[in-house]
Amino acid sequence: MKRKGLRFYLRIYLKILAQDIKSKMSYRADFIISTIGMICTNIAGFISFWILFSRFPSINGWGYYESLFLYGFSLVSLTPVQCLFDNNWNLRQNVYSGDFIKYCLRPINLFFYYQSEVFDIKGLGQFVFGLVTLIYAWVKLGLGFSVLMLLKMIVFLLTASLIMIALQNAAAATCFWIQNSFYVLDFVMKFKDYAKYPITIFSPVFRFLFTFIMPVAFIAYYPSLVILRPDAVPVLSWISPLIGIGFFWLSYKFWMHGALKYSGTGS
Amino acid sequence: MKLKKYMTLTRAGIIEALQFRMSFLIMCAGNLLYLIVTYFLWKAIYASVDTDVVNGMTFTDTLIYLVLATALYGFMEMYLVWDIGRNIQSGKIVLDLLKPMPYRRYLFWSYTGSFVTQFFLTFLPTFIIVAFWTHGAIPLGINLVWFAVSVVFAVMINFSIDFIVGTICLYTESIWGINIMKQVVVLLLSGATVPLAFFPDKLRTIVNFLPFQSIYNAPLSLLLNAHPTAETVCTTLGIQLFWAAAMTLISVAFWNRSVRQITVNGG
Repeated sequence: MKRKGLRFYLRIYLKILAQDIKSKMSYRADFIISTIGMICTNIAGFISFWILFSRFPSINGWGYYESLFLYGFSLVSLTPVQCLFDNNWNLRQNVYSGDFIKYCLRPINLFFYYQSEVFDIKGLGQFVFGLVTLIYAWVKLGLGFSVLMLLKMIVFLLTASLIMIALQNAAAATCFWIQNSFYVLDFVMKFKDYAKYPITIFSPVFRFLFTFIMPVAFIAYYPSLVILRPDAVPVLSWISPLIGIGFFWLSYKFWMHGALKYSGTGS
Repeated sequence: MKLKKYMTLTRAGIIEALQFRMSFLIMCAGNLLYLIVTYFLWKAIYASVDTDVVNGMTFTDTLIYLVLATALYGFMEMYLVWDIGRNIQSGKIVLDLLKPMPYRRYLFWSYTGSFVTQFFLTFLPTFIIVAFWTHGAIPLGINLVWFAVSVVFAVMINFSIDFIVGTICLYTESIWGINIMKQVVVLLLSGATVPLAFFPDKLRTIVNFLPFQSIYNAPLSLLLNAHPTAETVCTTLGIQLFWAAAMTLISVAFWNRSVRQITVNGG
């Protein structure tokens, strides 16, 4: 079989995307309410920072605007996983009910086809909110601006995204082996709430744990150091793009391994 | 034997909750992780000020407050909005409406089973661990009685709020968005994310006039207060009683008005 090129996949993706958006638009009220709900969550996160810093000067040497930077960074880097990979949340039901077999029978990449089916538009609300927070903090911190910084920013935002996507893929794929894997996914997705705190607050044991075992620190902390504290960037920050790609590749292999061994439910 | 029919629902709920042991373990792991993050976060926050006491709360107070708020949350959170919303979408609600018991009461008693299991499996162990860990920072006296009474009111208020929000689903056909908005508002304004003591004064005044602070802040402040004056106890419980009654009335009235709206497509 001839390998299909990137252009082919892009064209297919846009076609599937158009269908999905059409079907979403028939529930317009739901779309609007979900977007508002998403923004409410982000505003609440913002308000809790504001309340905290109205009483306390810093978290372990991290001031208000630096913390906001970290928060905005984590929100923006979470957008791809929210928008493009949201179908992972439905994987469990699809596998359980047997509907998953339909994806196995298409002549395109299984993982690609499955993920392309859902595009979660409400993630865009989060993206805008995160971006505004990030820019606001950037300006207030007086970090300056250059094309190189922008490039670094984009590379490291993508890195953080890849890590989060990898975590979600791996967690969702556990449903091929265990029942009721909702809790695994829910557990892993809570990591993203902890990404907004600097890793230095933890004791060495937990610092190790949150860096290497549960890579929470790679979702915002290590990548954003490159911009925030350019004088003292640890090695881990520089190699985080490689870690991101590595993690993503592993999670893809894990996901596919589960999917290819899937034998349906017979219905 | 009027109570028997309610107890049957409680028993069914307990059996159902005990079915999911694996998910229970993962949930415990998730809570543990949250506690670890909370501990280090607030330790770092308190390290940034010179005094031990901020707004009348020491580090230990804050920790107990937040840990027990989480335990209370685990015990009161009931996915009621999802259940009502799904029942409306699937049409199953028709069967529940035909039962010889008002819908609201039926739901409440079905949830008592999970209240009981959650109380013994999550709240009580957390409470005991915290009490030992903090070397008796939780006063053990008459305040435990006030706390218990207060929790009962809190459960009633929380249930009514959930029921009102669930009723809104009759109109909107959106579950996720409505539920997330409720969750965010309740968690932030009840003091479960940041203790109300740290709120800026103006915000705190506003929050005191809302029902949410009766859910987490009221029972927890009664618990942490070793020698409450009779006045404090009366006001706190009185306000809770008021909100429990008011929210019950509102939720019943709103449901009775809305139930005429139900349109079920087939089912």
